[in-house]
Amino acid sequence: MLLSTAVAAFSSSALAAQAGEGNHASQIRIVRLPSPSSPLVTLRLVFQVGAADDEPGKEGLADLTGSLLGEGGTLKRTWSEVLDALYPMAADIHYHGDKDTFVFTGTVHRDNLEAFASLLAEQILTPRFSVEDFTRLKQDALDSITKTLRGNDDEDLGKQAMATLLYRGHPYGYPTPGTVAGLTAITLDDVKRFYEQHFTRQRLILGIAGGYPDNFPEAYAARLAALPAVGKPRANLPPPPSSQGMEFLLVEKPAHGNAISMGHTLDVTRADDDFYPLAVAASYLGEHRTFNGILMLNMRQKRGLNYGDYAYVENFIQDGWSTFPQPNNPRRQQHFEIWLRPVPPASAGFAIREAIYETDKFIREGIPDAGFEATRAFLLNYINLWAQDGSRRLGYAIDAEIYGKDVIAELRARLPKMTKADVDQAVRKHLSTKNLAVAVVGDKLRELAKALAAGSPTPIVYDTKDTPAEIVKEDKLIEAYPLPVSSSRLKIVSANSLFEK
Amino acid sequence: MRHILTITTCAIVMAACAASKPIARGVPVTAQAKAFPFPTTGKTLPNGLRVFVVEYDSPGLVAYYSIVRTGSRNEVESGKSGFAHFFEHMMFRGTTQFSTEKYNAAIKAMGADSNAFTSDDMTVYHILAGAQALPTIVTIEADRFQHLDYAEAEFQKEARAVLGEYNKGASDPLQPMIEALYDHAFQTHTYKHTTIGFLRDIEDMPNQFAYSRQFFDRYYRPDNTILLVVGDVTADKVLPLIEQHYGAWSAGPERPTVPAEPPQAHEQRTTVPWKGASLPMLLIGFHVPAFSTANTDSVALEVLAELVFAERSPLFRRLVLEEQKVEHMDGSAERHVDPNLFNILARVKQGKDMAYVESAIYDEIARVAEQGTDDKTLAEVVSRTRYGFAGQLSTADKVALVGADFLARTGKLTTIDETFALLSQVTVADVKRVAGKYFTPQNRSVVVLEPGEP
Repeated sequence: MLLSTAVAAFSSSALAAQAGEGNHASQIRIVRLPSPSSPLVTLRLVFQVGAADDEPGKEGLADLTGSLLGEGGTLKRTWSEVLDALYPMAADIHYHGDKDTFVFTGTVHRDNLEAFASLLAEQILTPRFSVEDFTRLKQDALDSITKTLRGNDDEDLGKQAMATLLYRGHPYGYPTPGTVAGLTAITLDDVKRFYEQHFTRQRLILGIAGGYPDNFPEAYAARLAALPAVGKPRANLPPPPSSQGMEFLLVEKPAHGNAISMGHTLDVTRADDDFYPLAVAASYLGEHRTFNGILMLNMRQKRGLNYGDYAYVENFIQDGWSTFPQPNNPRRQQHFEIWLRPVPPASAGFAIREAIYETDKFIREGIPDAGFEATRAFLLNYINLWAQDGSRRLGYAIDAEIYGKDVIAELRARLPKMTKADVDQAVRKHLSTKNLAVAVVGDKLRELAKALAAGSPTPIVYDTKDTPAEIVKEDKLIEAYPLPVSSSRLKIVSANSLFEK
Repeated sequence: MRHILTITTCAIVMAACAASKPIARGVPVTAQAKAFPFPTTGKTLPNGLRVFVVEYDSPGLVAYYSIVRTGSRNEVESGKSGFAHFFEHMMFRGTTQFSTEKYNAAIKAMGADSNAFTSDDMTVYHILAGAQALPTIVTIEADRFQHLDYAEAEFQKEARAVLGEYNKGASDPLQPMIEALYDHAFQTHTYKHTTIGFLRDIEDMPNQFAYSRQFFDRYYRPDNTILLVVGDVTADKVLPLIEQHYGAWSAGPERPTVPAEPPQAHEQRTTVPWKGASLPMLLIGFHVPAFSTANTDSVALEVLAELVFAERSPLFRRLVLEEQKVEHMDGSAERHVDPNLFNILARVKQGKDMAYVESAIYDEIARVAEQGTDDKTLAEVVSRTRYGFAGQLSTADKVALVGADFLARTGKLTTIDETFALLSQVTVADVKRVAGKYFTPQNRSVVVLEPGEP
């Protein structure tokens, strides 16, 4: 098939041959993705530094330090002067941080490559660390927690609240920008120290894609070799906390609907063989932003409960307005997650029960033969859309360097040989609803808490007519579906109390 | 930049595309004549359906866009706001030949990325898939555009998915702010309501089954639709397929006209209370003309937006970087079929600075109206816009998105190059003129978000 051949040549085999040469003189790992006919060049600098490296009591230090590199001045220029220099090129330095990585990236027309690359190197190598930049970005980080996350985005709030349960006492257990107490405690000296100890050649993967000159990668790596070779050793992650049954966190704030996220930690990443059948399972259960999944089909299409219902077997961040994941957020530990977009408050209990009912049924009965075949066929084509342009191809290539496996190449190789039994086995081994952490964001959640704790039925409330009889019959099962809820593991908190420390 | 917050409600395509086909090295983008350099074939079928095929270097991939030139702008009847968007949902509810399940199975079998979006001026259905799937795509898309058929029960369930979409957006204070801005700024034109619609109308949607059939009959017609096919395709393969499957589609009844908006007599101002946590926000809209390449006003307004609100602008430097009173600020005029608004958003760190920030914005626009800018800065705006355009069209799907935006508004792809030709002709005098003409107190509407919690 033309499609597979063409994309494979772009993304996997050709890429693997040029990725990750760790013994370069600069000691910087380089991932190259040349595309000589392209007028664009993408640079991705992925540092294996993230919130997991935050010092205790200084939660947010890694992200704030990265922000000051990505959006602060240099020794030669103020941030305002950097913006001036970037402007005519239509180039921007984008950055994002996660638990284990901090990424700087930019795509520029090859006419402007030298100027852009020099500016980016200047940002990384000679940060200004001015009081003005520090004050601005620290306040922005605090506002992102206390104002934006708590009050402007219930769905993200639900996900972050779920993470506080999944990763209680673990470095992944608070938002990447930090906590209020952590951010408040951070000084500019902390940032300078953190930079020197963590933004090192050892932790850097340099990715370059597009129509760059032949010798550019080595020359650029040589420039970045001004970074220290090594610094503080990467902290080992503790194991994720063990769960003792289902747990609920109900987050109260003014809201129209109830945003719901639920999940449990997983002992599987892309580096493991079981990840790949689990990816098929997640796609069947709820492929992100598609109508394929059974959660979407049964909850939205048949019942009109909400706008969307999805499932994941690794942390998922959507790339802009697309339906695809943002690359370069690799984590050393992952989790299984179900995301229910806001449901009417009167049907929130039903929605929670239905998601668990559907997942239990899937785990118990396995993936149907037809569902397996359709999902496998879907993924074999869909993976070709994940890396359409140079920037995204490069992102996947760098993730392959980190995990030791290229997820697109692995799926392309493994799917044709995979069986329904492989999926069922992986699902039974790794997925369960017994220890789900469930977060609900909404207004006046006490009634919901009472019903869940008492095990009372939580019927769906329809204000539409002619619901098919078989759905109504199944609704009766779902509304009383037993949930092992202990009142000691069900907590109601105010949104404004979250992420304080 | 980390924060990408925008007041636009649909795809922005000021910055758009470039070639992945080789461009001669050594010719800077700013010196290239064509901003949209791809081989393009256009054809109009006898029933009025227009088709554009754009050959783009995306091995094995095709983007298939069905553009209905109807959006919330066309919701002329009272109580029907949000219906164009609702109808976008209903288009996934099946036909006699392809039920929802069969349609979804076909999409899934292709491994396609398939979705749709609605804005003020358009409803766009898009599929990105392997080029070998094109015959299937044409078959299922032609079928649903001509033979959509759904039961009232399904219609009602989908109405509640739309309410879910409203509720999803309702935790973002920008949603009620934009609602309030347009509700105040427009009295007769349908831009008065947002694309998702007023909540009262969304709640009533389950009762509008009969109207939904009328809506389909009225707007989903070949003379109101444009197909755009971009990617690893050629016109000689695509056009016969389209003629075969869409040829029998017939033109429909006359469509209602959209009422014109009279000039605004005086400033409109309102506050939106917000019960939860938030930064205070300021949203200002100035009435500006419809997008047009007949004169330089539209592109001069785009240049003005860059001069006053870009991150390197003096105002951004002052309010965001130096005084640090504002966390985020932007301003722009989205292209529209009819006169709309130039919107300005500021997320202000403390409510006490709201009046100061508002005055600073007006003062800076007045300064540009008075003093203009220098030729070097103007050239840099042109450079950024051209390179931004060159950078954005990096995939077949992005090229199609840009093309769809222009096609929906003007019906032509050549408008892209016309726009960039005009951009290079904009003078400092043009910028001063539009700054002085449109940014007057009586021409603006102001919405302030007042969070209830500190």
